[in-house]
Amino acid sequence: MAYPYVSNAEVRVISQYFGDPTHRRIDTYVKRGGYKALEKALALEPDAVTEEVKASGLRGRGGAGFPTGIKWSFMPKKPTRPHYLLCNADESEPGTFKDRELMRWDPHQLIEGCLIGAYAIRAQHVYIYCRGEFFEVNQILAKAVEDAYMKGYVGEDILGTGTTIDITVHQGAGAYICGEETGLMSSLEGDRGEPRVKPPFPAAVGVFGMPSTINNVETLAVVPHIILNGGEWYRQWGTEKSPGTKLFCVSGHVRKPGNYELPLGFPLIDLIDDVCGGIRDGNQLKAVIPGGSSVPLINAEDARKCELDYEGCVEVGTMLGCASVIVMDHKADLVKQIRRMVDFYAHESCGQCTPCREGSAWTARILRRIEEGQGTEEDLDTLMEMTEQMVGTTICVLSDSVAAPVQSSISKFREDYLELIRSGEQAGAA
Amino acid sequence: MSDVPIKNPGWAGNTGEFDLTEEQVRGEDFIGERPLHGGHSSVSATMPYMLIERNPEAELFEGEYQERFKKILTRYPKKRAALLPVLSMVQELRGHVSPESMDRVAELLDLSPAYVRGVATFYTMYNKRPVGRHLVQVCTNISCNLCGADEVLAAFLESTGTELGETSGDGDFTVIEAECLAACGFPTCVQINSRYFENVTPADVPEILEHLRVQAKEDG
Ligand SMILES: Cc1cc2nc3c(=O)[nH]c(=O)nc-3n(C[C@H](O)[C@H](O)[C@H](O)COP(=O)(O)O)c2cc1C
Ligand code: SF4
Ligand code: FES
Repeated sequence: MAYPYVSNAEVRVISQYFGDPTHRRIDTYVKRGGYKALEKALALEPDAVTEEVKASGLRGRGGAGFPTGIKWSFMPKKPTRPHYLLCNADESEPGTFKDRELMRWDPHQLIEGCLIGAYAIRAQHVYIYCRGEFFEVNQILAKAVEDAYMKGYVGEDILGTGTTIDITVHQGAGAYICGEETGLMSSLEGDRGEPRVKPPFPAAVGVFGMPSTINNVETLAVVPHIILNGGEWYRQWGTEKSPGTKLFCVSGHVRKPGNYELPLGFPLIDLIDDVCGGIRDGNQLKAVIPGGSSVPLINAEDARKCELDYEGCVEVGTMLGCASVIVMDHKADLVKQIRRMVDFYAHESCGQCTPCREGSAWTARILRRIEEGQGTEEDLDTLMEMTEQMVGTTICVLSDSVAAPVQSSISKFREDYLELIRSGEQAGAA
Repeated sequence: MSDVPIKNPGWAGNTGEFDLTEEQVRGEDFIGERPLHGGHSSVSATMPYMLIERNPEAELFEGEYQERFKKILTRYPKKRAALLPVLSMVQELRGHVSPESMDRVAELLDLSPAYVRGVATFYTMYNKRPVGRHLVQVCTNISCNLCGADEVLAAFLESTGTELGETSGDGDFTVIEAECLAACGFPTCVQINSRYFENVTPADVPEILEHLRVQAKEDG
């Protein structure tokens, strides 16, 4: 099948069937060994399932990289109240486009992962909170869930084991902040998607006031493979602390943008030069944002040293985030792009916390001033000081996400800012 | 669907390396004529779906919509959770969510009108005012922007003869900017009503608009 975005360097565990339109059909999925992992999991104790995921070292793919098995083990062992599993399919971090591919090419893989996760945390209901913009994806997912109900993989008494798990596909209505875990819960309850103060943590008081666990689409999509092949098997790829494979969404100025599944620890420069065919039009690499718009950007020099795993990114002063690699060449208008990102955060701030609400709006305004040639060098200091106060002072980390691109770009690409400031001054003097 | 051939099949279309049909990529061959309300209550669709044909006066929650509403209520432990799904149904029927519709929804779900307004205005997908038959949302966020999204936006505005956010005289188009649509590897991504167009360049814009005009005539 022709999925044009493939490379020999890839290890396709969860993306194996991307580009194969027959794989959405439940018969095909089952014929290829689908729902075998569910069968295997249901024969185990829930805690044994969690242990296997712990052994794999799988870390959450939604951005924070928290170990999945450990997260699951926070859930009460003796349920006295309903438990919920929430699948975060709100994918809206700029640069990220992997969950959409996972859901549209392989919906049953996700459904199977949801069922296994729900069983492990003793939940009887899964809500897949999917972006409202994803019309086709939502329809594909809906049909797949329906088919899975028909075949007895979802619903009451699954495969005659006495286990009951329902899956609901729920849609958002356009708000980035609903991707934040507690914002998602507020939204699912029919409220504004405003994040909540933690603690209490979702495992104690989650959606509808009940113990809940929330996982990203990609995280749950890996689970069937781990259950089927064992946690140790998953560790054959990646590093000790960041095991396994990961989908890298590459966008921006590369020749072949796309989704590539690679072992964690893969060198960033090889991803750009080999897997993605290098920079477009023979241009030079200037900057990379390796984890989606919320993480600091790095320059070409650091990009050459960066290994793409959770620790490797920290070493060069950034984060892996959701592995959304945004590549910029030497012609990129960097200040404009930073301003565009800050505009985004200012638009998406839910407004509960003053540093975030006011800070993002002001930051955007100053950046625009600089972009238009009206800025001064003091503006850069103001930006640094102001964004400093936006870190660690708010309910959720959206506020920190404003600081990351601004601070990193000013410290690593000060010359880009100064050039705009100087050209503005010259124009003013003339 | 119109059968005007369109060069940009929505996914890697202009790389020329892809040999599936548009139907297969979009999954239309799989979902077929699957009605929005679906068979199972768990998956009855509740996204803010945008149809070309809409009626701002349409009765709310009758017939099929009444059925859907009942199904939706079964899947949440609290009635209030049905608020977003219900607002989405309003938009599907009427094309936008007016203050009057919000009041009806409040009544239906035993919520205060102020609460419903507070929620409805939080979410960008609910159109608070009527929009053109085709709502064109051009992503201008970073990945698309790096690859020329501003020019694509300008081309849509020019070809439709509109200002940002304004509806064209014939009522066909409203063009707005969108935030990242999660299709960043296929820039520029444009969402038109409920459908994504990907790898859009300014040169594609006239053809896409022509396609939509024909489609509006056929469906409308
Ligand atoms: C502002 C904000 C937006 C987020 N958006 C998403 C998102 O769209 N999808 C996602 O999976 N996680 C998102 N997250 C991360 C979630 O809060 C959460 O950490 C994640 O869903 C947990 O799943 P995991 O453990 O499987 O990674 C976001 C976080 C923040 C602070
Ligand atoms: S940090 Fe921003 S987005 Fe997060 S809760 Fe506070 S105001 Fe809302
Ligand atoms: S930046 Fe345009 S779709 Fe993500």
